[in-house]
Amino acid sequence: MKKELATFVLLVVLCAIVAALNPRFISLANLQNTARLIGAFGIFSVGLGMVIITGGIDLSVGSAFALLGVLLAMMLTEWHIAWPVAVLLTIALGALLGAFHGLLITRLGLQPFIVTLCGLLLYRGLARFIADDETKGFGDAAGFQALQRLATGSVVHVPTPFVALVAVSTVMWVVLHRSVYGRHLFATGRNEIAARYSGINPRRVIVIAYVILGVLTGIAAIVFAFYTNSVSPSSHGNFFELYGIAAAVLGGCSLRGGEGSIIGILLGTTLLQVLQNLVNLLGIPSSLNFAVMGGVILVGVVGDQVWQRRSARAPAG
Amino acid sequence: MSLKRTAALICLSVLVVSGCTRERSSTKRLAFITNNAADFWTIARKGTEKADAELADVTVEFRLGDGTAAAQKRIVDDLLATGVDGLAISPVDPANQTAMLNDAARQALVFTHDSDAPDSRRECYVGTDNVAAGRQAGDLIKEALPQGGTIAIFVGKLDARNAQERLQGIKESIAGSKVTIVDVRTDDTDQVRAKANVSEMLVSHPDVAALVGLWSYNGPAILNAVRDAGKIGQVRIVAFDEDDETLTGVKAGAIVGTVVQQPYEFGYQSITLLATVLKGNRSGIPPGRQVFIPTQVIRQNNVDEFRTKLTQLRGR
Repeated sequence: MKKELATFVLLVVLCAIVAALNPRFISLANLQNTARLIGAFGIFSVGLGMVIITGGIDLSVGSAFALLGVLLAMMLTEWHIAWPVAVLLTIALGALLGAFHGLLITRLGLQPFIVTLCGLLLYRGLARFIADDETKGFGDAAGFQALQRLATGSVVHVPTPFVALVAVSTVMWVVLHRSVYGRHLFATGRNEIAARYSGINPRRVIVIAYVILGVLTGIAAIVFAFYTNSVSPSSHGNFFELYGIAAAVLGGCSLRGGEGSIIGILLGTTLLQVLQNLVNLLGIPSSLNFAVMGGVILVGVVGDQVWQRRSARAPAG
Repeated sequence: MSLKRTAALICLSVLVVSGCTRERSSTKRLAFITNNAADFWTIARKGTEKADAELADVTVEFRLGDGTAAAQKRIVDDLLATGVDGLAISPVDPANQTAMLNDAARQALVFTHDSDAPDSRRECYVGTDNVAAGRQAGDLIKEALPQGGTIAIFVGKLDARNAQERLQGIKESIAGSKVTIVDVRTDDTDQVRAKANVSEMLVSHPDVAALVGLWSYNGPAILNAVRDAGKIGQVRIVAFDEDDETLTGVKAGAIVGTVVQQPYEFGYQSITLLATVLKGNRSGIPPGRQVFIPTQVIRQNNVDEFRTKLTQLRGR
């Protein structure tokens, strides 16, 4: 809980500073914009966090967004598939990619980094090939306006991606922190061999984690595609997996596995989006965007480490 | 192996080799290399194909870059290794690719297109005068804001030469008017960030009168963000290039106008000029070694006509 607390304090301090410097930070329009992005990035970050807790990683998320986005646009505008079917197919394909990664990792004993690095290259290439290197757009969404409204609209001023994130994280909170599977997941991440000796099937646990990430990647892919309203296969979602990984780590997930929480991942995602928002709101040059993000993540991680060491020493001394 | 047979083999190989060289001297191998895989290049490709079809003694290869200098170097090295006679390339990073272009120029005829590398030994540049294009955009802004006002500019990367030049053109055009630039935001070609940048600009500068997108995807990003904020008509939009959504926005009156290049002509003129220069006729190269292909301003009144032409060119 302490790790989440550090991130939470950092977030609150940051928000207070920004709100003091530019009161428009807490205007309804800005909160909506930021909530929309937190929703979109949060949905897959939660899944990525689960995979990181198993001690794994997924580098292919951004490329999967391009592939799934291109296919979604083609299903809707070129093949004229009914939108509920297209949505289900997109999520199913996401799950399939997740299962594919999970099986390669558990059955063949390949390293998650390698498997998903190949995915990063493979899906990007496939997306570009399928789209013939052309941007695939939704145009005026003729025939699937309901889906466009669902993906880009608001429920009582709250953007739907944020509502979706609340729903997803509630479910995933129960799965991770209150279910038998969640306990198995932590046990597997901490020590796979010990988990196996205590009767857990680590392979199954890991594959399920990648499938969960796949499903959430599918949902996020739909949100991102409609956010930009078109998918350019060569650049759509580039590096987005790094936002997810950074959010998970900021939120207290250990890349060694076995540690992390849903609340932490949500705080991490929020912090990353607030950082990008403040760069624009305070008129900090865009060129410093990544530097600000990197700097604050580093401060967060260093602060957390110092805090941990102190609290580890305190009871002994 | 008998002496006779060896002699015969030697004769045969000489014949084959000379046959090859003779063939190379008659049919010229040309290549057209892009900087990335944008839709823009689909149209340029049609231009190269037209030139290829018109010129009997030329074969044209079309290669897509991936936005990196490394990929271009690999493409150029491969082409040179297989004996290309002439190539036209859109360098990703002209300042630092000079050495590569000079190396290539020792072995083949080298043109730049789309983006120039004036310090290299390239023979000629075929493409847009981006400063002039920027001025056209600046004129559109002034026309949309007769009373003046503040504008914000959005682009992928500011260290790209075309971005710099377009920005310079806009600044030249609005100099002395009541239009001022409040900010230039970059998104590193991340289209989610591109749209978020616009949404956040509308929050941080609620009084901004016009938004300008310098790269093709910035137009749709601005349009979508302004629409989400319910500020269509209130905030004027000026764009570059011919993205479908941009043209739809122009048609609907949500975008004042867009300044478009003629990639088809990049492809067609690069290849035809390469072919004529390789034949020894250098009259097509102007003294400044730059062939400028004019940009067009597309507004509500000529957008339909332009779209029809574009659909034909893309072959959709």
